[in-house]
Amino acid sequence: MSGETDGDATPRRERTGGNTFLGDVLVNARRWGLKATRNRFFLVGTLVQPIVFFVLFTQVFGQVATGALDSGSGGINYETFLLPAIAMQVSLASAAGSGIGLVNDVESGMFEKVLVSPMSRTAVFVGKSAAEIVLIVIQILLILGLGVLLGAKIQTGIAGALGVALVGILFSVWFTAYSNVLAVVTRDQESTILGANLLQFPLLFVSSAFLPLDAMPGWIQTIAAFNPVTYGADAARALVLGRDVMQVIEVTAFGGMWDTIVPAVAVLIVVDVVLGALAVTMLHRASRAAV
Amino acid sequence: MTDYAIQAEGVELVYDDGTRAVDGIDLRVPNGEFFGFLGPNGAGKTTTIKTLVTLLHPTGGSITVNGYDVVGESRAVRETVGYMAQETSVDPELTARENVSFACQAYGVPRSERRERIEELLDLVDLADVADKRADEFSGGMKKRLDAATALVHRPPLVFLDEPTTGLDPSARNRLWDYFRRINDRGTTIFLTTQYLEEADQLCDRIGVIDDGSIVASDSPAALKREVGGEILDVELEDGTTASERAARIAREAGIFADASVSETDAGIAVTSPEARSRGTDLLVALRDAGLTVTGFNVRAPTLDDVFLAITGRTTDEERGGSIAGEATTDGPDDVTTTGGGTER
Repeated sequence: MSGETDGDATPRRERTGGNTFLGDVLVNARRWGLKATRNRFFLVGTLVQPIVFFVLFTQVFGQVATGALDSGSGGINYETFLLPAIAMQVSLASAAGSGIGLVNDVESGMFEKVLVSPMSRTAVFVGKSAAEIVLIVIQILLILGLGVLLGAKIQTGIAGALGVALVGILFSVWFTAYSNVLAVVTRDQESTILGANLLQFPLLFVSSAFLPLDAMPGWIQTIAAFNPVTYGADAARALVLGRDVMQVIEVTAFGGMWDTIVPAVAVLIVVDVVLGALAVTMLHRASRAAV
Repeated sequence: MTDYAIQAEGVELVYDDGTRAVDGIDLRVPNGEFFGFLGPNGAGKTTTIKTLVTLLHPTGGSITVNGYDVVGESRAVRETVGYMAQETSVDPELTARENVSFACQAYGVPRSERRERIEELLDLVDLADVADKRADEFSGGMKKRLDAATALVHRPPLVFLDEPTTGLDPSARNRLWDYFRRINDRGTTIFLTTQYLEEADQLCDRIGVIDDGSIVASDSPAALKREVGGEILDVELEDGTTASERAARIAREAGIFADASVSETDAGIAVTSPEARSRGTDLLVALRDAGLTVTGFNVRAPTLDDVFLAITGRTTDEERGGSIAGEATTDGPDDVTTTGGGTER
């Protein structure tokens, strides 16, 4: 038990050494993955709402919406138009849960317990995010499969579906960051849920998610141009339809669906970096203040 | 050469809003000692312990823990200490075994030793039977024991326990005490904060008394008690305050004790004196002669409650006010670090 004296006045205790950075990432990813399987209500809940939206929207608005589509995107059914947006909704709903996990950790004392361990603090957050990303990919692939069963058509096949999942990851980052900022600021589960939901629905409606922008009033088109959901939905939709669908920015340099995907992904990366940096700064400050 | 687990000099911690939570603490804890850090709520106990485990940065002074500097070598400090926070910290969604396993992984316990270590620790805290139950099904005492187990996965030579028994019932408290003694017997240095004087008395080799951010006394429980100045004679009297006043005057002025301090209590009087035992009967006789009815009396050794009163001029109860009841409460100044205005973390 006792340490070696190496000439120092105070003998130093033997260090345990801890893990590598990657090891720390895995340890945390495993814990959050395990927690996700325990929390079936959340897992199912984040899927049920988008599924309900998908079924209701296609049934209730299907007839009307197809008319709107004929003027703009032409020749596709509403199921196909809506499915990529629903995939982004899944990503949004899952991302909203990230901050709730953080608040729960602060409340249960696990946040502090992890801070006092030798694990790298960056690895702790990377590990949690990795678990969340895996979850989002699984959920998006599930919802795409269900959509196809219900009549949607993914023109680009499996590769396109995987592409949508990648866009879903990119799309989740800024909302994950927002949800974590809420968590750090409010430190309260209800407030975090409320704050995330409050934004989730207006963002979805005031975007190109549910209808083509040219079928909507001018003010919505203006706001939609500044709404990250528009870019997520457009990128996913371009992948599903295999062609350029973007109406907020006209780009012709890349050809076909890439005229949508490249600018949309660029916008998402900028939004991700800005909000991500804010979240990392606030999490860092919260860890130093040590709750 | 003495071998210190903790060496702290002139430690200060001033929060952003100017609150001086820790105000110049000097501390040396030798390896193997069971050290108690005793003080009322808001005295700076939790702030001090968080500074020692690297959760807070001291704004002044120097601290070495296990030979490592808490600021410059914080990772080495984290690797070599165990910490049990005041609020029970377990993941409620995981089972007892998973909680301990996560802690093992977090501290880099080699995979080959993990299984054995987990079983050993669950056994030590008597949770082996419920190892696969989720922690949110546990009672407060069981969660505390699980928390304690997770603090020991890396066999740290030094363990910090921040008010580990606050809010627990007496039997759960006794069980934890047993467990802490066992760890200490294995050679582990323990730094324990408590506001229960009895707890410090029961467990600790040495006690530091903290009040308003600085240490006001530091010695073994027995030596601290000697400072009170003798044993205590409690006398209970019939009809309350008027009788107490007269009795106190007799005890002070009748020349029975050469050296005594007399105070009035709820039931009668208390006389603290080296001669409390030998001259006590004389006082009782004098009281009877004065027409007072003694309904009960007792000579006892001083408790740490008496020590605290003698050192700070207050009882610990006065300081605690109503906030102790039920669940664990945070030390006052620590609330400053959390979000503004919240009473809980």
